[in-house]
Amino acid sequence: MKVKSLWLFLCVFVFALFIPFQHVNAASDGNLQKVKDKGTLVVGTSADYPPYEFTVKEGGETKYVGLDMDIAKKFAADLGVKLVIKNMNFDSLLVALETHKVDMVISGMNPTLERQESVDFSKIYYRGKQFMLINKKDTARFKSIKSFKNQTIGAQTGSLQYTLVKQQMKNNEIKGLAKLNDLVIALQSGKVNAVAMEEATAKAFAKNNTGLKVINPQFKVDSSQTGSAIAFPKGDTSMVAAANSTINNIKKQNLINKEYIPNAGKYMAGNTNKNSMLNYWTYFAKGIEYTLLITVVSVFFGFVLGVFFALMRLSHNKFLHWLAVAYIEFVRGTPLMVQVMFVYFGIGTLIQSLPALIAGIIAVSLNSTAYVAEVIRSGIESIPTGQTEAARSLGLSQKLTYRYVIIPQALKNIWPALGNEFITLIKESSIVSIIGVTDLIYQMQLVQSATYKGVVPIFIAMVIYFIMTFSLSKVLGYFEGRMKHA
Amino acid sequence: MLNLIEVRNLKKAFGTNIVLKDINETVEKGQVICVVGPSGSGKSTFLRCLNVLEEPTEGQVLFDGKDLIHLNEEELNGLRQRMGMVFQSFNLFPNMSVLDNVKLAPLRVKKVGEEKATEDAKKLLKQVGLEDKAEQYPESLSGGQMQRVAIARALAMDPEVMLFDEPTSALDPEMVGEVLKVMRDLADSGMTMVVVTHEMGFAKEVADQIWFMDDGYIQEKGKPQDFFTAPKTERARAFLSKMLQ
Ligand SMILES: Nc1ncnc2c1ncn2[C@@H]1O[C@H](COP(=O)(O)OP(=O)(O)O)[C@@H](O)[C@H]1O
Ligand SMILES: [Mg+2]
Repeated sequence: MKVKSLWLFLCVFVFALFIPFQHVNAASDGNLQKVKDKGTLVVGTSADYPPYEFTVKEGGETKYVGLDMDIAKKFAADLGVKLVIKNMNFDSLLVALETHKVDMVISGMNPTLERQESVDFSKIYYRGKQFMLINKKDTARFKSIKSFKNQTIGAQTGSLQYTLVKQQMKNNEIKGLAKLNDLVIALQSGKVNAVAMEEATAKAFAKNNTGLKVINPQFKVDSSQTGSAIAFPKGDTSMVAAANSTINNIKKQNLINKEYIPNAGKYMAGNTNKNSMLNYWTYFAKGIEYTLLITVVSVFFGFVLGVFFALMRLSHNKFLHWLAVAYIEFVRGTPLMVQVMFVYFGIGTLIQSLPALIAGIIAVSLNSTAYVAEVIRSGIESIPTGQTEAARSLGLSQKLTYRYVIIPQALKNIWPALGNEFITLIKESSIVSIIGVTDLIYQMQLVQSATYKGVVPIFIAMVIYFIMTFSLSKVLGYFEGRMKHA
Repeated sequence: MLNLIEVRNLKKAFGTNIVLKDINETVEKGQVICVVGPSGSGKSTFLRCLNVLEEPTEGQVLFDGKDLIHLNEEELNGLRQRMGMVFQSFNLFPNMSVLDNVKLAPLRVKKVGEEKATEDAKKLLKQVGLEDKAEQYPESLSGGQMQRVAIARALAMDPEVMLFDEPTSALDPEMVGEVLKVMRDLADSGMTMVVVTHEMGFAKEVADQIWFMDDGYIQEKGKPQDFFTAPKTERARAFLSKMLQ
């Protein structure tokens, strides 16, 4: 037990070592030049917030559109670089910025005082009012903040609206979710009575759902904290200055009201015209492809490394043994979600260009390794010692004994458990969507925001997951049967 | 006569339980030794010390003049090839066919080549009367057949000595005979053998020497007719009267 806690301490210690690096990175400027040198402007956004940012399907491709995207395009053009959009959860945006996964964040983000402590903002480029989305049948009941007494209000976690509801509606219960789409589903199904959101967004949802309505509940807002601005890493003055000059230009020509918002409106109308699920089958197909890719690759590495760690754990070498024990216990004792974020954001601090897909595969593989190692260890330990003795008495080395006698028998015994792990991974890998890997869940969310439909895409994803796991378990069962007769 | 195995001051303890207290014996080439004694007296432990499946606590085990206790893994593997062992519970590899069980060590350790391994294995299976079972898996064999395969498997490495640990104790009575016959043939062919057994008839008939083991010592040894008709120690008399009643 003592040795275990020592390991834990060591791991935390090593983790702590990374933190100073981050600050050194963030404090140095000259980032404008860096962006120009690499020729790309990597922009983080949470594309479920029409008309600021959302997705449309054009020629089978997902396209990020909205007024923020138009601004980002203009900014990139002004800098003379290529625009690269990274779509992720709103919650993850600032972490991505701090860990230099993205050069800037534009996501209808309000420059609150809290946020100003960790990032720098450009000037405000657009100021919308803070509205509330309600069900049409409640129109008579809900007029202003006061009329919501004892009702549950939904808001996007980490958003300005969430803070406003919390501060100005103290008697209300607040339900925070990461995705606006999920909040709208909650509203439609009566889980919440209203959702606080930005004016333009609220209007977009109301326009596309006949059962919904927009009201202005008269939040008191501090004008310095409302409105949307572009976020940059702390101390990134050269980029902020460049962005401000682009924003000045946009304002001078009134581009947002004259071009960008009408533009977004067109896309939104287009989306609603073809929001039958059949139009989006390519989304789901891509999601299946990535989910299977992540699962298969992770199962492979999980198995290879799992054998390795199982043998280490069974080794007579104390150091190897404890190393394996520490790894297995640590991984099994922490949530996969945290591991995925740690690999992407933590290790990503050291390797800037680590793509989300690779990070996701690494995290899921490392996670699976620990579970597979335990399965294999129990499989090996279940083989009677007489087998080893018979092999050794014939002159087989330990290695040959494992290879020809122990491992083949162990594998046969643990085949069902390994198959289970495979099936588990298909389901568990869905967590990688939080770092923006385009797996089935992520694609499902894209379809939700593109179609303004909440439940149907969830149902489809659920059915697809079931078909995948069910057919896999049938296939595995078939091989299990054959192995028994071998 | 050449001393194939020499045991000097052999002691073995499991924790505080001293199982072998002080054993000094030699096995000559071509000899058949039967080790008898009450259960729990340390016979298996003694046998397993001979090929170092069990590491002795003290003393020496010399095989062909080399002390097995101080060998490294590789040298030990080399010497184990020259000593065959047959276990009470057969310990066939269930994941391989009968033929592959017999072929495994020649193929992977001696690296004799697929064809020769197969040919030799078939010959050995014929010798134990099981050539028609080559392609079957162990689970489909009877206990007596399994033990005969185990003997063939051990013989496949062409060992200089065969160690048997109660090879017939796990068998139904009607199958004991077929295994003992194979062992008798082996003894007749001149194989050096150390056999732990409760088959007194077999011991009387086949052994050159009987070693009687009790309480961690070889209490008494001698020719079968002397041991069985006129045991010298009280312990041996008690043991024999129990065995023969
Ligand atoms: N691996 C082991 N660990 C601990 N004690 C053992 C082990 N093997 C044998 N013993 C003990 O050694 C003693 C002798 O056992 P064994 O050699 O199997 O006797 P026999 O074969 O004569 O019946 C027994 O008391 C047994 O419990
Ligand atoms: Mg025994």
